[in-house]
Amino acid sequence: MLTTLRDLLRYNAGFRIGAILVGLVATMAGLSFVSPYSPIDTFVVAPDMPPSPAHPFGTTSRGQDVFWHLTFAIRNTLAFGIIVALLSRVLSLMIGLVAGYKGGWVDRVLMSINDTFIVIPLFPILVLFYFVMRDRMSWTALALIMALLGWAYDARLIRSLAMSLKTREFTHTAVFSGMSTREIVVREHLPYVMPIVFSTTMNNMNWSIGLEVTLSVLGFTDINSPTIGGMIYWANQHTAMVAGVWWWIAFPVILIIMLFIGLFLLAVSMNEHIDPRSRLQRMGAGGGA
Amino acid sequence: MTGAAALAIDAGQAAPAKAVLRVEGLKAYYRTRHFGVNREVRAVDGVTFEVRANEIYGLAGESSAGKSTLIKTIAAAMRPPLEVVGGSVGFSFLTGGTSIHQATSAQLLAIRWRNLSYIMQGSMSVLNPVRRVRRSFEDFAARHMGGRGAAFEAGVVGHLARVRLDASVLDAYPHELSGGMRQRVAIALATICRPDFVIADEPTTALDVVVQKDVLGMIRDIQREMGSSLLLVTHDLGVHAYMTDRLAIMYGGMLVEEARTADLFLAPQHPYTRHLIASLPRIGDDAPRVGLAGSPPNLAAPPPGCRFHPRCPLAGDRCRRETPAMTVHAPDHRVACFAVGGGGGTA
Repeated sequence: MLTTLRDLLRYNAGFRIGAILVGLVATMAGLSFVSPYSPIDTFVVAPDMPPSPAHPFGTTSRGQDVFWHLTFAIRNTLAFGIIVALLSRVLSLMIGLVAGYKGGWVDRVLMSINDTFIVIPLFPILVLFYFVMRDRMSWTALALIMALLGWAYDARLIRSLAMSLKTREFTHTAVFSGMSTREIVVREHLPYVMPIVFSTTMNNMNWSIGLEVTLSVLGFTDINSPTIGGMIYWANQHTAMVAGVWWWIAFPVILIIMLFIGLFLLAVSMNEHIDPRSRLQRMGAGGGA
Repeated sequence: MTGAAALAIDAGQAAPAKAVLRVEGLKAYYRTRHFGVNREVRAVDGVTFEVRANEIYGLAGESSAGKSTLIKTIAAAMRPPLEVVGGSVGFSFLTGGTSIHQATSAQLLAIRWRNLSYIMQGSMSVLNPVRRVRRSFEDFAARHMGGRGAAFEAGVVGHLARVRLDASVLDAYPHELSGGMRQRVAIALATICRPDFVIADEPTTALDVVVQKDVLGMIRDIQREMGSSLLLVTHDLGVHAYMTDRLAIMYGGMLVEEARTADLFLAPQHPYTRHLIASLPRIGDDAPRVGLAGSPPNLAAPPPGCRFHPRCPLAGDRCRRETPAMTVHAPDHRVACFAVGGGGGTA
């Protein structure tokens, strides 16, 4: 694991850039813990101040320091992405592995549910949830809903892997030796699909953060807890662009673009690393086989 | 003495105590149903034989003869659409049941690996590529050896020494081992519980002849040391000549001849066996080999009567109508052919 990371950092420029970008964003989120201001307080500093040494990213029309407010926003957005990615990974792993391994009617039932989730138009559903739940639509509720909606593509991917693993000799041997379905899926197949899951996790974070930002910008979420989308929402509410308070929108947008590009580069370079063909080449070059 | 055992099978009497495996009239078909069209492939169609204690029993036949289907059925490792249609598979260590196919899953769990072990086809891939060899031993064998621990570890290392492997392979991933080493790990894995009966399906097909001889020698040494029985399946008659005590030839889902290996090579009776033996290259004999016209029967629509008759130079009218049964030709030598005086009275 550590040698893999080292190799990726040393030989893959994409991974290096991605790691730096995500690292910067994560540092920003970490800074929120030492923020001098509370995220919910308004008018703690002079409003509408352009970037200056005292307020590096300027201040908002609501009297918040953009830099420190951004640390809270990116922390919440990042945490949201991670929670959604982890929850939906658990779902897609369980459903994909079981459907692929068991086959038959189990597979058919699970995959028809899966395909239903794939064809559901997500955005209208999420807006609908907001209108139904209104004030009860909290940050956690949204994360749960997104996780429940976001597992289907990857479950199909994992299922196809499990189907191929099912026909391998080591699976036959495992069955013959008396291992139960749970043991085979967890001990024999799970390690095999994990690298791919890591890669899809990044993509899934991008997807969920993107949707969350979209919903927040339009005001379809809990607008009181600071997120990147929430900041842009408030900036629009105060017509920041017209008023010339460009820093209120520009910095959140730059930060979220850094996060997107960073996660995307990580996913792509990891994908390259776990691609079986390039993997075999490296094994041959390594002189192991 | 051995002839009496063969007669006992034909008469359908109780098994002699020393038979470890008794297969009787076994029929296993692949049955599929697609859009209302039923298809039935009779891959194993009425096979009867027994394997005695401490012997290596060979099963030979060309591709599509039903060898792999037969051993899957014997190990009760069938997956749909393969179904057992008739007959029984009895093991001496299987208590309380006549056939392995009637055994409960708890019974199967108890005998598998412990008593009955299986070196699968393509056995080099029985090791999970993303797990260390040690994990494969723990996953597959520990449950049958009273769990993992120092004693288990010592047992594994001791057993690996039998196949001349160092304990360090336990910490290797399969791709770090050579083909021969992987093969030896697979053999160690299948024999670690000292099973009474080992099924080996083409165990050395992927290896070059030098490593092959080495690995086969190791299998034989382990088998002799443990006194277990081995059912060895391969199309390679050279391997059979080197390894087996008795040899059965399979054609079109049925046995056509069974004898002590030396007898079968020296005095083959069935026309198919004769052609098979005659086709083998011999050192110093450079006469061109004559092949048989035609190809093995389509087992979805096998020819009536003897399945070999369309290709058989000795085929008569009776061969087209009736299926010959395996009858005793000489002590320990059974053959299913009317033309050589076997085949039984009626089919």
